Amino acid sequence: MRIGYLHQIAVVARWELLRTLSTMGRGILPAAIILFVLLIAASGLAAERGIHIQDGIYRLGTDNVPAGEVIAEDPRFMVFIDSGASLLNNRLFYDIIILGSEVYVQDTEKGRAALTSLERVFESYSAFMNVQEPDLYAAYPLWIDRIYERSELDFSATQSGQRISPLPQTDAPQPSGPILPIATPQASVPYEPDQLRSGISRAAAQDDTVSRYTQLIASDSELGSFRTPNQLAPPLPFDSIILIFVFIFPLYFTSQFFMMSIMNERIERKGEVLLSAPYRPSAIILGKALPYFVMMLAISILLIMISSLPPKTILPLIPVILFFLSAALVIGMLARSFKELSFLSIFFSTIATSYLFFPSIFANVHIVSLISPLTLIVLEIQGDPFTLTDYFYSTSLFYLTSGILLYAGAVNFNEERLFSLHRLIPRTIEFISAGISKTYPLISLFLLGGLVIPFVFMVQLMGLVLFFNLPMPLSLLLLIGYAAVTEEVAKSVGIYALAKILPGGLTWRHAIFGSAATAVGFLAGEKLLLFATIAQVSESVFGSIMFLSLQVLWMPFLLHAGCLAVVAVALKGGGFRWYLPGIALATIIHVVYNLTVIGVITV
Amino acid sequence: MKSNNVLIVTKKELFGIYAEKTIVFAILLQLFIALFSSFLMVGLTTMYDPNALSGYQGVEYGIGYVGSDGDLYSIIDGRRDLRAYGMDLNTAIASLKERQLSAVVFVPDTPPDAEGPILVTLYMLQNDIQSAIVEVKMKEAFLAYEEELRTLRSDRLTLNPIRLNFPDSGGRSNYFEFVFALLIPLLVFMPAIISAALIIDLITEEYQSETLETLLSTTVTYGEMLWGKILACIAIVPIQSGAWLALLAANGIVVQHPLEILLHVICGSLILIIIGAFCALHYRERTSAQFIFSTAVVVMIIIAMSVPYNPLNLIVRLAVGTIGSLHWIVLSGVLALALFLSILLTRYAGRISRLPR
Repeated sequence: MRIGYLHQIAVVARWELLRTLSTMGRGILPAAIILFVLLIAASGLAAERGIHIQDGIYRLGTDNVPAGEVIAEDPRFMVFIDSGASLLNNRLFYDIIILGSEVYVQDTEKGRAALTSLERVFESYSAFMNVQEPDLYAAYPLWIDRIYERSELDFSATQSGQRISPLPQTDAPQPSGPILPIATPQASVPYEPDQLRSGISRAAAQDDTVSRYTQLIASDSELGSFRTPNQLAPPLPFDSIILIFVFIFPLYFTSQFFMMSIMNERIERKGEVLLSAPYRPSAIILGKALPYFVMMLAISILLIMISSLPPKTILPLIPVILFFLSAALVIGMLARSFKELSFLSIFFSTIATSYLFFPSIFANVHIVSLISPLTLIVLEIQGDPFTLTDYFYSTSLFYLTSGILLYAGAVNFNEERLFSLHRLIPRTIEFISAGISKTYPLISLFLLGGLVIPFVFMVQLMGLVLFFNLPMPLSLLLLIGYAAVTEEVAKSVGIYALAKILPGGLTWRHAIFGSAATAVGFLAGEKLLLFATIAQVSESVFGSIMFLSLQVLWMPFLLHAGCLAVVAVALKGGGFRWYLPGIALATIIHVVYNLTVIGVITV
Repeated sequence: MKSNNVLIVTKKELFGIYAEKTIVFAILLQLFIALFSSFLMVGLTTMYDPNALSGYQGVEYGIGYVGSDGDLYSIIDGRRDLRAYGMDLNTAIASLKERQLSAVVFVPDTPPDAEGPILVTLYMLQNDIQSAIVEVKMKEAFLAYEEELRTLRSDRLTLNPIRLNFPDSGGRSNYFEFVFALLIPLLVFMPAIISAALIIDLITEEYQSETLETLLSTTVTYGEMLWGKILACIAIVPIQSGAWLALLAANGIVVQHPLEILLHVICGSLILIIIGAFCALHYRERTSAQFIFSTAVVVMIIIAMSVPYNPLNLIVRLAVGTIGSLHWIVLSGVLALALFLSILLTRYAGRISRLPR
């Protein structure tokens, strides 16, 4: 009797839930509750007593006792009070010496850092004194009203955040577009001195490193856009750090349980029972994943409600949840032992977190930030709702890669793969080769070529984030090399797997036509995804390098097929030892081609 | 307990780590993070301290100045990296939107020595890294102007705060504190946490894969098995932490007292590993043990950080060379705690090994 597919999923999900509850119930709950209480107590302790990591990193000697007392408030400074002569005798011992009101600094990196911190200490001291002045406008004579305008030029013109306006000229610039009337700004601060006073002291009290990290979703808008010169600071979203810990960490944590559940099926062949049931592998996987998906969704919703964000914020988190779950599935199926599982998952989490986190730092400063779904949340928090296009743009890669990983998991969810004890890389190749049909290798290679595209894009976008803040020519060169290596490795995966599974190794027919088929698949996938999603990035200087191959079709086809053929011939002629040299040669050809196209090398 | 048998177990585990190439992942991870060093310098230092952005130099940014010429105009125009243009507001804003200007200031006709404040309106572009840089430069100009105004109105000030004369030359440094007081303790201590997670894997795997019987049927006893694994986990800590220190040195960041730092890391990791072992022995199942252990680690680290002279702080002080022999006292305290915990662990293990499995 065939059971309906949805019913299969439901049965496996219920089974998984019961098993998790029974395992976790054994003694976990009391310990977890105690630890949770301890965690709250510890956070309270840390908030009260401060974080003592930077204590005593600078030595400061002075004969000015009142100044020394002010500085000693900051735990970073070890203050030594002594006579001027003996201070000078031991001057190498100190990073800073203050004689009277003169400050002398060691000419080292550390001395300069100490001076920077000392200036900060004195800035907040002056702010503390100034705010007590009866005549506030004598102490704070200058107020700034900061207003943000939207640029009318889009990202394609500003690209890397580099300056694009013409070089400074002697005359004032003349706008080419229409000149619209702007309301004359007000000439007086619309607040009472007392309001301003409390605003300043509040801001001064917050100005230390700890509060910068713990200060939840910024709301220091007591004075609106008005501030003193000292309070001006560029809008860098510190929220994204908090977001990582608040949203991503619990999700990552929960996905670990799924990873472990998959791994448990493989230990001592426990999963044989499950496999012998009349269930489809994909139903088993979805059923096992379902409880965790619901749990992660519930955690996210709870967090959103606690931080009173708009419900829409859940949308960017869904692809992240799917991505974590599908990666957990594949890692759980690949790892041979617990320690391998640990290392793989730490490795994955670092990379995934960087991918999510680093772009979102630039949420307000650069469009590149949109490659991370977290940026959408940062924008949402700032009251800048994201559009459907933004959503599509930053999440489609996550949806696609999750889908492909889940598919790979489902195809390989059988006895042979689950219980094999091969090493990691051969296992990975086995996983990939499951997608290659020996009867129709060319069609498989074509499909595989298309399927690797989302991963290639992810890796390349990661590189874009890494390199875009380096100086201009260097960042372009690094990106060209990086993109070429990524593409060559990704393309060669299919051929490599084919060479492994074919009993007689690659034939010449496979090498040549296989390269062509992969190249066609690769191009098709690239074009499809590119037009659908990342048109914005691809219009920038960086994008045009990464996705250089789109202007004319036959040239990139020859490039992709030719480079891959180099690898294939290396594999055919020299065996697997020649794979890396083949990749290296292909990369060089690829880089030279790219440099020629952008005109660095002229033919 | 025979030390020979302990070493055999240690060797077996280390070989396993080597054979599975898991250590390769750990090193790859290190390289990956090292790759971020360029990023760390610009991006993270900025995040840690937005003022670091002013390090971007070499270009002159155009500023639209709306209002009558005054001190602020000459302060802005006098800077090497800014250039002021006198304009009317509408043209200036239109130019700003077309990026012909980097910022626009509107300065009212309030006299410098007026009763009330001078309110300057600053227009900037949204979503732009260049804006962030220009804003830092404008801040410096405003601070200079504020100081001028304050001097002008000084007869109205009553308090007399302590003043210091800071040297103008020599430059400033923002990255030092970030690297030495945040990055280094984090990076150096990470291997300790990884090793503690590793001991859980090693112990629970023996139970869950049911290989413990086989191992104990040889001459190896339960305690020897346990300490062999602990030794293997400790052995890889200084290798990884040392690799970090070497990597930093290769990047031009030279850390003082590396040996003492490694000693602190080893002692700290001993405590974490023993606690990990407790969790593993208690639950004998990876998911539960890892869950409880990772929560416990967070609690311990937060508590440790709120105590002065904690090991993390000592690592920072050692790295910058501002601690005397005091750290040896703390180190011996940590070591004593580790020894105490290890005695407890050995007893606990002895009790567990007698239980029927």
